[in-house]
Amino acid sequence: MSTTFMQLLSGMVVSVEIFLLTLLFALPLGLAVAFGRMSKNRILQGFVKVYIAIMRGTPLMLQLIVVYFAPFYIFGLKISQGYRFIAVIIAFSINYAAYFAEIYRAGIESIPVGQYEAAAVLGYSRTQTFFRIIFPQVIKRILPPVTNETITLVKDTSLAFVIAVAEMFTIAKQISAKQASVTVLMVAGLFYFVFNYVVAYIMEFFEKKLSYYR
Amino acid sequence: MKKMMKRVITAVVIMSVALGLTACGSAAGDKAGASDRKTFTVGFDAEFPPYGYLDESTGEYVGFDLDLAAEVCKRNGWELKKQPIDWDAKDMELNSGAIDCIWNGFTINGREDQYTWSVPYVDNSQVFVVSATSGITKKSDLAGKVVGVQKDSSALAALEDEETPENIELKDSFADLIQYADYNTGFMDLEAGAIDCLALDIGVANFQVSQREADAYIILDDKLSLEQYGVGFKLGNEELKDTVEKTLLEMVDDGTFMKIAENYSDFGLTDSVCLGK
Repeated sequence: MSTTFMQLLSGMVVSVEIFLLTLLFALPLGLAVAFGRMSKNRILQGFVKVYIAIMRGTPLMLQLIVVYFAPFYIFGLKISQGYRFIAVIIAFSINYAAYFAEIYRAGIESIPVGQYEAAAVLGYSRTQTFFRIIFPQVIKRILPPVTNETITLVKDTSLAFVIAVAEMFTIAKQISAKQASVTVLMVAGLFYFVFNYVVAYIMEFFEKKLSYYR
Repeated sequence: MKKMMKRVITAVVIMSVALGLTACGSAAGDKAGASDRKTFTVGFDAEFPPYGYLDESTGEYVGFDLDLAAEVCKRNGWELKKQPIDWDAKDMELNSGAIDCIWNGFTINGREDQYTWSVPYVDNSQVFVVSATSGITKKSDLAGKVVGVQKDSSALAALEDEETPENIELKDSFADLIQYADYNTGFMDLEAGAIDCLALDIGVANFQVSQREADAYIILDDKLSLEQYGVGFKLGNEELKDTVEKTLLEMVDDGTFMKIAENYSDFGLTDSVCLGK
């Protein structure tokens, strides 16, 4: 049992890597996409709208396959072994960025126009207004939906095996096939639960920390 | 300043989106022929014991086919890379060069024209596994029963083979035919009583039945079909196939092949191999 546990743990490392790297890239990229979505430039806005529509409207599983196999099937390049994991991170990042972008947009658009006017009267530049006044409030407001997405991301990591990146759930299924037993799948469920509990706990900590006006 | 900031943001947005969409174009590698080859990547379904599976005590992928592949690599001075794949993506993996071959209890019959095949090395049959208490003892008892298969499997192909009307007739007599992503899930369903029978490769059936509660399952003597396993290479990759096949036959001649099969004799492999007898 202990060796099984160690195998699951090594798979969990891959899941956590996917999770952290996706957050690292998708959170800033999402903000950039949100700006594009709110841009007054019609072309840019239209382009970003199409991007979000594709990312939200097609399965992540398909996006993984496209990102991984496109170099070969479209450009005729031979795929190297190291690209598997990179493709997972690219696909997860551009997919989650689309969802995060809409969350950012909801947050930014929820701030009353009066605050922008007051900032302008006080002589703040647009950049200063955004980063010193608007954005800190946005972060407070969007934390609950971001927590939602983050927890979904933890569970979505199991999709990575569609392009043969063996993460925790894949290892669990392989061990289950070898042992002809379902126990290990239950243990895998426990792994996800504990990890998500920690994620939710950390996010709640930030929420409390940021609710300094209440 | 205002305008400038706006431009910068616009540029960053365009660049990051474009980068996200095109970054996939950067992966490249060089195609190595059999002569200057250094690595040999075998694609397999790691939920297919005894041919390829995860040994949870070491974390290594093992199995009859992988042991054979390891020996072939050792003799050719290649480094073996064992790549577990999603069975649904096997053709994309092979055609794109991400794997060099599929070596995983891979049935030749019905796929003759889709891959470049090595010589067959295992005589396989597709069999029916039923619960010992079900009262099912022959094929005709399966009428009106729910039968499970793995999707895209040889058992499914045999049941849907237009050239054998008796199999089609058999399939039509089932109450339902359920397709599973992997056999383990199928066995769980059989155990739970949701299905009455599972049609699968005899090697895997022996493995699963031996791992579970003794005498809980029986393998019907009536077989669904007979077939052979080979190593599948990308269509036209004769050079690599020839090298691997030559080494495999050498291993048959000096007895190494049988020795590896004996390690898996519990699962009936010594009976089912068709080389070196």
